[in-house]
This record gives sequence, C-alpha cells and structure tokens, in this order.
Amino acid sequence: MDPSVMQNPELASIINQEQQRAMVNEMVGKLTSACWDKCITSTPGSKFSSSETACLSNCARRYLDMSMIIMKRFQNMQ
Amino acid sequence: MDFSSPSSGSSSTQFNPDAFKNQLQNQLAQAYAEEFLETLRTKCFDKCITKPGSSLSGGESSCISRCMDRYVEATGIISKSLFSATQH
Repeated sequence: MDPSVMQNPELASIINQEQQRAMVNEMVGKLTSACWDKCITSTPGSKFSSSETACLSNCARRYLDMSMIIMKRFQNMQ
Repeated sequence: MDFSSPSSGSSSTQFNPDAFKNQLQNQLAQAYAEEFLETLRTKCFDKCITKPGSSLSGGESSCISRCMDRYVEATGIISKSLFSATQH
C-alpha cells in the first residue's frame, strides 16, 4: 500500500467517524450495564415495570448530570 | 485484508475507501456483538442461575430468555434517554 494513504483525508474521515460511533457504543454499553445493576433488582420478568423503566431512563440522565458536575468541579480544582 | 481496487494494467495497488469502510464497519460490528454477548452471559448468569443444579431447570431457562429480552430492551431505553438528553 502506498504510504501516502496515511495522509488520505477520506481515510482520516472514515476512521474518525467510526471512532465517534465506537465511543457512543461504549458509553451506551457501560451505562446499560451499570443501570441494569442499579435498577433491575429482582428476577427479570416478561416486561419491565414502570418503575424499572423510569429508573433506567433516569439513570442515564443522572449519569450525565453527574458527569457535568465532576467536570466543572475538577476545572475549579486546577 | 485487501483494500485495493482492480486497476487495469497497473501493477500498483490503489486504496479503495469504500472497501476499507465496509471491512472496518463489519469488524467493528462483530467485535461489538461479541462484547454484547459476553455482557448478556454475565448479567443473566447473575440473575438466573442462583443455585447451580445438576442441570438447567425450566425456570432457569425461561429466566434466561426473559433476561436477554429485558437487557436488549434496557439498552434501547438507555440509548433513547442519552440521545434525547443530548438534544436539549
């Protein structure tokens, strides 16, 4: 392969796009795992209760809230 | 892996972005699927096989099915929640 391939902007764009997608997938994966543990405390049923659904949804949002707080506070520590 | 496109007469290989993109996406999808499977195994083993017996009971089997369905559903709920949160 021609070494100038590495400077190829199309290649860089493809890789960057997949990188973004992979980061989103990782976030969803980690959050689902953590929120499952927090919210689904009993044996899985044939559907979620409304409190389980709400818990899962809240869990993701609160994680984002927390993330912001940590970022801001950390910046203040510098 | 060959990302070259057929080039008539030329002996050099040309980089083919589409072939590369497809190959890359396929491999990423495969890796992601394997990771997801491993998570399913872990979660459902924890929830459903609490006292391992000499074989899987009917209860344990149906628990595993439900667990898989619920975990997939949970993934959707989290995705949607994250996606709508970042819209505001």
